[in-house]
Amino acid sequence: MQLIEKLSILADAAKYDASCASSGAPKRSSEGKAGLGSTDGMGICHSYTPDGRCVSLLKVLLTNFCLYDCQYCVNRRSSDVPRARFSPEEVVTLTLDFYRRNCVSGLFLSSGIIRSADYTMEQLVRVAKLLREEHDFRGYIHLKTIPEADPALIAEAGRYADRLSVNIELPTDASLQTLAPEKQIGSIKQAMQTIYTGEQTVLNEPRAPRFAPAGQSTQMIVGADDTDDSTILHGAEALYGNFKLRRVYYSAFSPIPNSPKSVPLAAPPLMREHRLYQADFLLRSYGFSAGELFEGPGHLALDIDPKLAWALEHREVFPLDLNRAEPTLIARIPGIGLRTTQRLVDLRRERKIRFEDLARMRCVLAKAKPFFITSDYHPQQADSTSVLLREQLRDRPQPQQMGLWG
Amino acid sequence: MISLECDNLFGTWREQARWLLSHQVDPSQVSWGEAQAADLFATDEPILAGLGPFQARIPKALLELLESAACYHGDQRWSLLYEVLWRVSHGDRTAMLAGDKLGSELQRRIKQVSREAHHLHAFVRFVALPPEAGPELPEYVAWHEPAHDILKSASQHFIGRMGRHRWMIATPLDGVYYDGQQLIHQRHCPEAWQQLAQNVEDPHSAMWLTYYSHIFNPARLNPKVMEGHLPSRFWKNLPEGKLIPSLISEARTGKQKDGQAKMIGSKPGKRIASGQG
Ligand code: SF4
Repeated sequence: MQLIEKLSILADAAKYDASCASSGAPKRSSEGKAGLGSTDGMGICHSYTPDGRCVSLLKVLLTNFCLYDCQYCVNRRSSDVPRARFSPEEVVTLTLDFYRRNCVSGLFLSSGIIRSADYTMEQLVRVAKLLREEHDFRGYIHLKTIPEADPALIAEAGRYADRLSVNIELPTDASLQTLAPEKQIGSIKQAMQTIYTGEQTVLNEPRAPRFAPAGQSTQMIVGADDTDDSTILHGAEALYGNFKLRRVYYSAFSPIPNSPKSVPLAAPPLMREHRLYQADFLLRSYGFSAGELFEGPGHLALDIDPKLAWALEHREVFPLDLNRAEPTLIARIPGIGLRTTQRLVDLRRERKIRFEDLARMRCVLAKAKPFFITSDYHPQQADSTSVLLREQLRDRPQPQQMGLWG
Repeated sequence: MISLECDNLFGTWREQARWLLSHQVDPSQVSWGEAQAADLFATDEPILAGLGPFQARIPKALLELLESAACYHGDQRWSLLYEVLWRVSHGDRTAMLAGDKLGSELQRRIKQVSREAHHLHAFVRFVALPPEAGPELPEYVAWHEPAHDILKSASQHFIGRMGRHRWMIATPLDGVYYDGQQLIHQRHCPEAWQQLAQNVEDPHSAMWLTYYSHIFNPARLNPKVMEGHLPSRFWKNLPEGKLIPSLISEARTGKQKDGQAKMIGSKPGKRIASGQG
C-alpha cells in the first residue's frame, strides 16, 4: 500500500481523539545544531480544519488494526473499516516532512492494540526514539500510552516524549465494562500512576533524564453513555488531584460508520462538550470545585455558561464592588475573565474604576452588569430575580446541536 | 503645527519624541507621516537644535509597550504613541492601561501585533527548493502577507526551529533570509526573493493535503469557529486553503452523518477475528 493511502486511513482513524495540544514543553532550540525543531512552552496551531479544531501536531495511529472491541471506536475489531499499518520509519518521514513545511509542531502518535500491549507500546516508543536519536528532532512528541504495557516501557516513553496520555475513555467504571469490556479501569489508573511517579522522580533533579516534561493528559468520551455532567466533572477533579493531570479532554461522541447498537447514532453533543470545557476551566484556573458547580447529580445548563449559572445561584455574593473586591472574587463575576480581572486591579491602583472603563475592556458587559458596582454605577438589576436574569442573559437562540443534520 | 517623518522606524521616532517632549510640545501640535495633508494648514515652526529643558522620566516598560505598538499598521500610528508618552511622562500612567480610552487602543494594537506574530509562526508554509538549486540559495522559501510590521522580530522563531537549514520568508514589504548562520533582514524585499518565494513549485504537497482532509471531522462541521482562528485572508497562501470550501460543502451535503471521510468509506473494510494476533 502506498504511503499516502496509509496516511489517509490512519489520520481518519485518529481524528476522534480531541487532544492535539503542543504546549507545556520546556525550551529547546536547534540554533546552530544538527537536526530540527524547537519548543518554547507555547503551543502553535498551524492550521484549523472546518470543524474549528486546531491542527498542531501530526496526529495519526501507527496502525488501526486492533484486537479490542471498544463499542465507541471506529477501529474496534468488529468494525468494517479499511486497515493499514505504518512502519516506524514511515511515521518519522511524515513527521519530519510536515515539520519542515511548518505544518505541524510535532507528532501525536497512538495505536490500535496489535499482538500485545507490550509489543504495541514498544513500536510507539521506537518512533519517538528514532526521531530523537537518529534525527535529533527537538519538536514536540506526544505518545499515547497503552495501559497494560510494562511500566519499564512507559518509563522509556517518558524519556522521549514531551507528553504522555492514557485515555480514561468513559466517565464511569460501569460504562467501561459495558462498552470497552477488554479495558480495565485498574490498569488505566495504574498507568497514570506510573507516569505520575515518573514525573515526581525527576522533579527538582536537574541532572535526572527528563520525563514527559509537558505532563500527562487524558480523554473522556461524552455522550456515548448516559453519565451526567456532575459525575464527569467530579471524576475530572479526582484525576487532577490524584495524578496531577495537565488536562482532561472531553470528546463529544461522534457517530461512527457501522455504528453498533450500544452507542448512539446522533449528532455529537457539541454544546455539552463546550460547557464541560468551560466548567473544567473553572476548576483548573478559577478555584472552583466541582461541588460548587453541582448541588447534586445532573447536567450543566446548556443555555447559560457555568459561571453565570453559579452566580445566579449565589446572588448573596453580588453585586461586588470592583474598587474593593478581592481579585479571586472579581474573577467569579460572569463575563469577566482572568485577564480583565488583572486589568481592573492594575487600573484601580491608579484611580477609581468607572463603568465606562469596563466597556473598553474585553469583557461581556451584558453578562457582567447585574453583578458589579463601580464608583458611578449600581446595577438596577440587583433586585431582579435570578429567574428573570437568566431569561435576559441566556444564549439565544436556544442552542441546538450545531450543524445541519438531516 | 509640526509635521514629522520617521520613515516608519521606531528608533527615529523615539529621538524625535524625546526632542518634542523636552521642549514640551503638546501632542495636539505634532503629527507624523500625514505631512501632505497637514502641510496645507501647518505653519511650520523652526525646529530648535538641542534638547529642551523638560526632563521626563520614562519607565522602561513603557518604551517596550510603545515599540511593540509601533509595529501596528493603522491610523495615527506614531502620533498615538506620542500622546501616550506625553501623558505618562506627565504623571498619568492610566494612558498605558486598558480601561482608559487611549490605553485601551494602545493595548489593542499591542495585542493585534502579537497575534500577527503568532500568525507568522503558525501559517508560514515553507516549500523546499530542488536540491540542485545550490548553496547560494535557501533550501526553503515561503511567501507570507503579514498585516503588521512583525517579520523582523517574529521570524527569529524559525532560527531555533530550522537548525542549520537555510530559509527565506518574502513578503510584499520586507524579507528575511537565514543563511545557516545569521538572519538578514531587508526592509524592502528584493524582487528576486519575492519571485523565488511566489513561483516555487511544490511537487510533494499531496501528503499534507491528504492529512488535512482526513483529520477533519465532518460530523463536527463549524466553519465560523474555523474562520475566527484562521482568518480567510490567509487561505490563499496556505496549500490547504483551496480545500476548505469543498470540505465544507461536502460535509453539508450528506457527509455529516458520521466522522469518516468519503474516500475511506468507499474502500473495502476488514473485520478482525478475535484472538488473531
Ligand atoms: S483499544 Fe479500543 S479504543 Fe483503542 S483502537 Fe482498539 S478498539 Fe479503539
